[in-house]
Amino acid sequence: MLIFIARRLGQMLLIMIVVTIILFTIFEFNKMNVAGQVLGPYTTEEQRQLWLEQQGYMEPAVGRYFEWVWGVLQGDFGYSHQLRVPVNEVLWDRLRMTAILGFWLFALMIPLALLFGVLSGIKEGSLRDRVISIGAVGTTSVPEFASATFLTAIFVFWLGWLPGTSGMYDGWDTRQIILPVLVLLLYGGGYVVRMTRASMAEVMNSQYIRTAILKGLPYRKVILKHALRNALIAPFTVIMLQLNYLLSGVIVVEVFFAYRGFGTLLLDAALFGDIFVIQACTLVAVFVAVLSYFLSDIGYMFLNPRIRVS
Amino acid sequence: MNEDELKRPKHPAIPKLAEDLRQGKMSRRDFLRTSTLLGMSAAASYSLIGKITGNPLVAPAHAGDNGKMGGRLRVAMQVQEMQDPATFDWVERSNLSRHIVEYLTCTGADNVTRPYLAREWEASEDLREWTFHLRQGIKWHNGDDFIADDVVFNFERWLDPATGSPNMSLFSAMTEEVNGERRMIDGAVEKVDDYTVKLRMRTGQLAIPENLFNYPTAIVHRDFDGDLSANPNGTGPYTLAEHRVGSRAVLQRADRPYWGEDLDDPYIGGPIYLDEIVYIDVGEDGSSHVAALQGGQADAVYEFDIDNLRMAEDMDDAHIVTVDSATCTVMRMHVNEPPFDDKRVRQALLKAIDIPAYNRLMFNDEGEHGEHHHVHPIHPDYYQLPEMEQDIEGARALLEEAGYGDGLEISIDVGNVGGPTDQQMAELWAQHLRAINVDLRINMMPSSRYWEIWTETPLGATQWVHRPLGTMVLSLAYRSGAAWNETNYANPEFDEIMDQAESILDADERSEVLRQAMEILQEDAVICQPVWAPRFTAAKDYVKNFPGQPTLYHIFHKVWIDD
Repeated sequence: MLIFIARRLGQMLLIMIVVTIILFTIFEFNKMNVAGQVLGPYTTEEQRQLWLEQQGYMEPAVGRYFEWVWGVLQGDFGYSHQLRVPVNEVLWDRLRMTAILGFWLFALMIPLALLFGVLSGIKEGSLRDRVISIGAVGTTSVPEFASATFLTAIFVFWLGWLPGTSGMYDGWDTRQIILPVLVLLLYGGGYVVRMTRASMAEVMNSQYIRTAILKGLPYRKVILKHALRNALIAPFTVIMLQLNYLLSGVIVVEVFFAYRGFGTLLLDAALFGDIFVIQACTLVAVFVAVLSYFLSDIGYMFLNPRIRVS
Repeated sequence: MNEDELKRPKHPAIPKLAEDLRQGKMSRRDFLRTSTLLGMSAAASYSLIGKITGNPLVAPAHAGDNGKMGGRLRVAMQVQEMQDPATFDWVERSNLSRHIVEYLTCTGADNVTRPYLAREWEASEDLREWTFHLRQGIKWHNGDDFIADDVVFNFERWLDPATGSPNMSLFSAMTEEVNGERRMIDGAVEKVDDYTVKLRMRTGQLAIPENLFNYPTAIVHRDFDGDLSANPNGTGPYTLAEHRVGSRAVLQRADRPYWGEDLDDPYIGGPIYLDEIVYIDVGEDGSSHVAALQGGQADAVYEFDIDNLRMAEDMDDAHIVTVDSATCTVMRMHVNEPPFDDKRVRQALLKAIDIPAYNRLMFNDEGEHGEHHHVHPIHPDYYQLPEMEQDIEGARALLEEAGYGDGLEISIDVGNVGGPTDQQMAELWAQHLRAINVDLRINMMPSSRYWEIWTETPLGATQWVHRPLGTMVLSLAYRSGAAWNETNYANPEFDEIMDQAESILDADERSEVLRQAMEILQEDAVICQPVWAPRFTAAKDYVKNFPGQPTLYHIFHKVWIDD
């Protein structure tokens, strides 16, 4: 067990090191653009060169790489040329905002999706199953930008119940987070419903469930005690992977609603060529990705004793 | 006052203008525009028009005494960095700074340029020497007096190639080329006394006052260190309280009385009503702007496009301001790069176009037909040229002659810098070009990425904002070596015509000369510009006097909130 965890942690570290090197190399070829972005399009090549020298970009790349890594280890992610503040000042705040979005998404999605998935999978082919399945396929098939437009048209323009953007310019406003969460819920939730349903249906067809029913156990007990635990293994992995999705897939939703989260930060930085922000965001995204794999592996092990044994 | 102004005119041409107006040779609006440019006060011009024609032109309404003091105006607009006004390349940047740092002149929603930091000005008869008299008693936020040194400092900065300012091209008549580098002519700017500045040009220039309201010409303090957001010292009614790029900017009423409060001017004079102007960044998309307005998060928006017009029209508590403007997107070629270095190729690419289709399909005929020369019918110096007809056979023959009889593959960089309609325009062009066996591929990219390469791409779709005169935009974009010359077009004959046009006072006479420049641009097929887009902005009904300036420059001195 411990060896397994140590090995996984080692892999995580290796992936992150490789990613940082790739990132650094990409930007080595793009330095002039950064200078152009910062100084404006009418500046001369010499001015840009001078700026790069002043900013220390002309020092040997290896030295700068280690300097940067050392800084990161100490919690210093560098300086954002676009936002004109240290990356630290925006990164954690933006991550917090996306975490809030994620919290509400998971708080709603997990119980709802599992409930509908289980209800659907208990009796495969029933009317209830078909209605839920069609609904889930429908919501997952609609891309976020389309459902965002659709929900905005209904709740902002038609009913006038909700604000149209979610920038939280005057501090926290719960009403502003409803539409982004709803869009993510429709898209991600449908997927989890489908996975839970498939898993539940498979479990319901297994011999031990049939035996439990035949030996006269109450149906309710069969579902709750025997079926559910086994049926939740697959959805658990899917839900853990949603963490990853949240960091990349959330960009569309955040940009649409002008929500100041991690997604908009990464997009703006990518468009501007804001090196340190991109590096910091990518590091965080990769960290969350490998961490979620790590957690899903561990969780999977607890849910499925066969893996633990092997 | 009128009689006085005629007896002692600010410029020798004013009595002739008055005579032209009397004889009906000049429109009232042209008279107003030209006489104010030559130093006559707007109030006197309006009044003189009424006297001469018996039919007064109504001056823009004052907010009057009904305006309510206080309140906060929230405007949805991109919040970008705001370091050096001299190098601004987005109007949005200048909108953030426009209430902090001010301009020597001001062009209102009526397209008339009036005095601002400059009290008045005179031009020599040949329009080569301009004298600006500055207002006295204006103070910078740090307590310093606003004086001629500030103006001289700004001109010297703009005309120093190290600054990298587009104003270098705007005031090219004040520069000369030495050893392959453009620099300011010695003595081009002279401080006569603390409140008088003299500008000297190589050639006569009519549009100096108008150029002085172009968005990178804000006057900064003589000790300006290059970063306005860090040190927002201005002469304007507001100061910067908060500035978070990509999020929001807050302008708060400065802690000293505004110098313009006693001024009689429909745009900048009178009481300043708003306590605070807040810009919120809801991204680039027009639909987010309209959604923010509808959802009550913004009281006004910077701009939205035709795609969102229907949605905006459905709002029952907001009003749309339609702006007459020469803002447009041009699909321009690098005329020195193959295959566009062959004039026949460029001509063929334009001949294949069905001009009316663009306005019809893209804008439901709400815009205007373009003529590939970048001068709009609302420009006083516009000249109506014969309409360009689609000529597929002619286009094919030209391509054949140029050696592309078997077809041609080209690609255009589109960053939708003028909105999603840029892409539609490129797609329509691609469709038209298929008829002559030209495969136009569209390379989409984010707008910010496009602005990185806008001068470098061989073929790209660039948005140009409105400028009050046709000469201004042609000079900025198509003169040899101009900073914003994105086509690399260099034609001494064109430059000469522009020199000549810019020295002519009479709008009709000038349009005769400018006509030659427009014809040259059409003939040389430098740009593909088949349509003028309509522009829209909107505000809630409780926002009073929300202006629809042709360039969407924000001047909120008269805006008040009726709660």
